[in-house]
Amino acid sequence: MSVVVEGLTKAYGRSSHALNGLSFTAGVGVNGLLGPNGAGKTTLIRLLATVLTPDGGTMRLLGRDPATERSAIRRRLGYLPQEPGYHRGFTVFEFVDYVAILKEMADRRARHDEVRRVIDAVGLTDVSGKKIRALSGGMRRRVGIAQALLGEPELVLLDEPTAGLDPEERLRFRELISRIGENRTVILSTHQIEDVAALCARVVVLKDGRSAFEGTPEELRALAKGHTWLGEKKGGLLSWRTGEGVFRSIGVPPEGARLVEPTVEDAYLLLLGEAALVAAG
Amino acid sequence: MTWHMDGGLATRYADGDLDATLAASVEAHLLACAQCRGLLAPQVPRARLDRVWDEIAEAVDSPVPGPFERLLRLVGVRDHTARLLAAAYSLHLSWISAGALVLLFAVLAARETTRWGLVGFLALAPIVPVAGVGLAYGRGADPAYEIGLAAPYSAFKVMLMRAAAVLVTSALPALVIGFALLGQNWTVAAWLLPALALTSLSLVLSRWFEPAHCALAVSILWLAGIAGTNLREPSLAMFSTVGQLGYLTITVVSGVLLVARRKEFS
Repeated sequence: MSVVVEGLTKAYGRSSHALNGLSFTAGVGVNGLLGPNGAGKTTLIRLLATVLTPDGGTMRLLGRDPATERSAIRRRLGYLPQEPGYHRGFTVFEFVDYVAILKEMADRRARHDEVRRVIDAVGLTDVSGKKIRALSGGMRRRVGIAQALLGEPELVLLDEPTAGLDPEERLRFRELISRIGENRTVILSTHQIEDVAALCARVVVLKDGRSAFEGTPEELRALAKGHTWLGEKKGGLLSWRTGEGVFRSIGVPPEGARLVEPTVEDAYLLLLGEAALVAAG
Repeated sequence: MTWHMDGGLATRYADGDLDATLAASVEAHLLACAQCRGLLAPQVPRARLDRVWDEIAEAVDSPVPGPFERLLRLVGVRDHTARLLAAAYSLHLSWISAGALVLLFAVLAARETTRWGLVGFLALAPIVPVAGVGLAYGRGADPAYEIGLAAPYSAFKVMLMRAAAVLVTSALPALVIGFALLGQNWTVAAWLLPALALTSLSLVLSRWFEPAHCALAVSILWLAGIAGTNLREPSLAMFSTVGQLGYLTITVVSGVLLVARRKEFS
């Protein structure tokens, strides 16, 4: 396993526990991290990126201990933060080249070849000479992915890479991320349950800083079997009116409701219960 | 051209054995003749083609660096160091020019109003490098800071490189402007040690706080000291020998602390 986490804790201040004894493992393929706002997804990604240090628990990343072998891990790591910043005066090529230098690629020719390779991999070759400030939001995200692919990392951490993208860009990202996950470990933090269902071999659902579920998307979906209902009346743990004018309910069946096949989203909502209501506002 | 290449000519061309005139003639012909291009293609070793293509791609695709980066390369700074420095906002030409302009105005004021003006120049001169260093790295100043933190390159090294570059690019214009307009008086350079002390102190503090905030805090402290010693009449008490020894001590102690705690900056 590329990532082994046991009993991980991280607190901000005295009372706010972002992670509260989290344990999970992740191997080659796309691994999804799902959870409502404040569940600890970004904290976990930053810990895995070795940007933060945990308060307690143990982590093994690519077979190494980040407490003592941080640089060795960073050499094999690609990281796209939730809000990646870009030097907007740089061109796409210059920015990716800048990150390549931070990844200790000193030989100019070899570095430039690698920069061209990753820019091509995300389909930005035609705009590699353009200033980043002139790019659309989706293209900037692709620049972010490109820098995360520098040096063929074995572990790629992507924090909400599809947030705020239009459906076409999201589809393009799905294709890209699935390709990246073919031969390396990708940890994908996301709010988009459809992305997890479409992309991930495994999924971890975070709730209150702990793992509430770990398994395949199909296993997650199976949790809601026998708990998802369609009927004329509102009821259950969660309930909402669908486009057809009937209520879809999760949990206890409302009167006269019939059992239906659940989706991954139904299972996620069932798992989170009250937390899902709070997250939805 | 009415002739076509034969196998022998194609081999000699592919091996680079033709003289320049004949090679140029062959190349002119190849541009217009698909038949001869087809004859030549199998003769050229794949590795050589790839190498030539890489060189072309390198020449065409590599961006022309900005003026500051080019200047750094011109004075012998390696290309990757130049790129790391060019990313810092306070090493852009606009920032360096603005800093120099502020000091120029301060020096011109010093020429007109004698002692008050000199105190003003000496008070302002250390602020320019301190502010520049505060805006050269850190979460608030470097858009790609988070990405850099997860990279193996030492954040401490980046911080020191940029701080040194900011010190040079702000101190040199200040010294030149000061000496040129205020004369060959060493009092004009009395701000140099305070600048080093304030800069190194703000670097040490940036272990715990945002660098820009550290720069602001030490600058306010410095200006408060200047104001306190100049309440009634212009005074150079902050630049006395004792004061200079104090700044030297702060610089040395801060330097030692920086080296001793360098791992904490990554």
